[in-house]
Amino acid sequence: MSEFDAIVVGAGPAGSSAAIKMASQGLKVLLVERGEPPGSKNVSGGILWGKDLDAILPDWEKTAPLERYVERKVTSFLTKDSEISIDFKTKKFEQTKTGYSVLRTKFDQYLAKRASQAGAMVVSGITVDGLAIKDGRVIGVINEGDTITGDCVILAEGPNPRVAMAAGLRSKPEDTDVAIGVKQVYKLSEAAINERFNLRQNSGFAGEYVLSYLENDIFAGGFLYTNKDTISMGVVINIETLRRDGRTHSYDIMEQFVQHPFISRLVEGGTLQEYSAHFVYEGGYESLAKPYGEGYMLVGDTAGFSFSNGMILQGMNYAISSGIMAGETVIEAKKDNDFSEKSLSRYMDRLEKSPAILDKKNFAGMNKVVWSSLVHRAVPEMLESSLGMMLYENGEPKKHLTDIMMKSISSTELTKKDLIMQGYRLMRRM
Amino acid sequence: MEVEEKLALLNYKTDPEYAHITVNPKICETCPDHFCTFACPAKCYTLIEGKLNFKYEDCVECGTCDVACSHGSVAWTNPKGGHGIKYKFG
Repeated sequence: MSEFDAIVVGAGPAGSSAAIKMASQGLKVLLVERGEPPGSKNVSGGILWGKDLDAILPDWEKTAPLERYVERKVTSFLTKDSEISIDFKTKKFEQTKTGYSVLRTKFDQYLAKRASQAGAMVVSGITVDGLAIKDGRVIGVINEGDTITGDCVILAEGPNPRVAMAAGLRSKPEDTDVAIGVKQVYKLSEAAINERFNLRQNSGFAGEYVLSYLENDIFAGGFLYTNKDTISMGVVINIETLRRDGRTHSYDIMEQFVQHPFISRLVEGGTLQEYSAHFVYEGGYESLAKPYGEGYMLVGDTAGFSFSNGMILQGMNYAISSGIMAGETVIEAKKDNDFSEKSLSRYMDRLEKSPAILDKKNFAGMNKVVWSSLVHRAVPEMLESSLGMMLYENGEPKKHLTDIMMKSISSTELTKKDLIMQGYRLMRRM
Repeated sequence: MEVEEKLALLNYKTDPEYAHITVNPKICETCPDHFCTFACPAKCYTLIEGKLNFKYEDCVECGTCDVACSHGSVAWTNPKGGHGIKYKFG
């Protein structure tokens, strides 16, 4: 007889969602978090697309510490001198909001508290050292030599899952599976943020950037989100190209982003509150781990559920949905009192119909396109030179669009053939 | 702004008895690239007179060095309960 029906390792969005789902159905749940308080270890470079929370917390939009809803979404190429953007503002999401900026220390604390209110036992400041395994079955977790038993263990450790890795349930990531995320939070008055970003009340700005100005062929992206009275911004650095370069520091890439002429004025006058970092999991469909087995399941980033195509970043939504699906699976397994691999394979059945897996599957190979010289160098260079000719007057006779485009293409390092091939691949992957 | 000033803003509950990350000096001695010194966002890895110096106290637990070191020198574990970085915003 186990002490708990389920033990959840990690109180981020995935773990807390699983715990809320199970505890609210009367299951005996232990939620263990190494940070004290929950959320104090967690960093995010994304927007919360929170619709999945409806299923477990119908009142979340009224009760959760949400910063601002996304009204304005910008996707930009930043060159040394220019910013070329798609700037999409809409009133469409004013009533039914789709995304919110959040600060994870507050938000994760809220979710853990809701798990506790639902009846889960929430313990923070405790590091799980490993899994207790008997006859090839996970039977619990180990802390300081003591075993705590559970019929099922849900690993929700985030993108650097030491417990799952030590047990061989997840392999160590390769250069291409992860990117280095570095982040800064600035304090700025609510009024200044509203004015600077053309916002009102609780509406917010979410920007994603391609940092094509970086020297030495290093690829990195940037993000910038408005919170109530702070701004979250940061960079996501491709490890392969940073390694190949071998002479640039990750923290300098962060600083260069802050100092870009069109970024620096957005945080001007703000005071830096926090510097943080975490690697971001970016592995594709082919590198997904098997997310279940005898007595265990992997959820959220631990299972590799994240997605980025350069225009939208997703992670917390998959964390929440996979946590709920794992919770539902445990509830079913409890009815049959069967926590075998076969029984828990119902988690996989659920996943295969959900965006957590489908997005990865349908956009397989996306990473190669997102981290390409086409996106990071050729396209921004072409756009900069052609738009510069089309949108400004320089005293010369006007040229036709095709002439301008051809001239811009010839100014990039790519051949026309490369450009067509890579462009085709990009369109197909998108 | 220098990274040292940025790190000075952070709160840590340092564990004086347990270094959650250790490096193998023998491996680092012969390392041709010292990529850890470029990858680590918290500047925990530095070269002092050509020798690798590592301080776990500034670590923000991002996991980068474990991937960055391709020579098997880094042994990465989570800090013991409640220790390590303590973010206020996240």
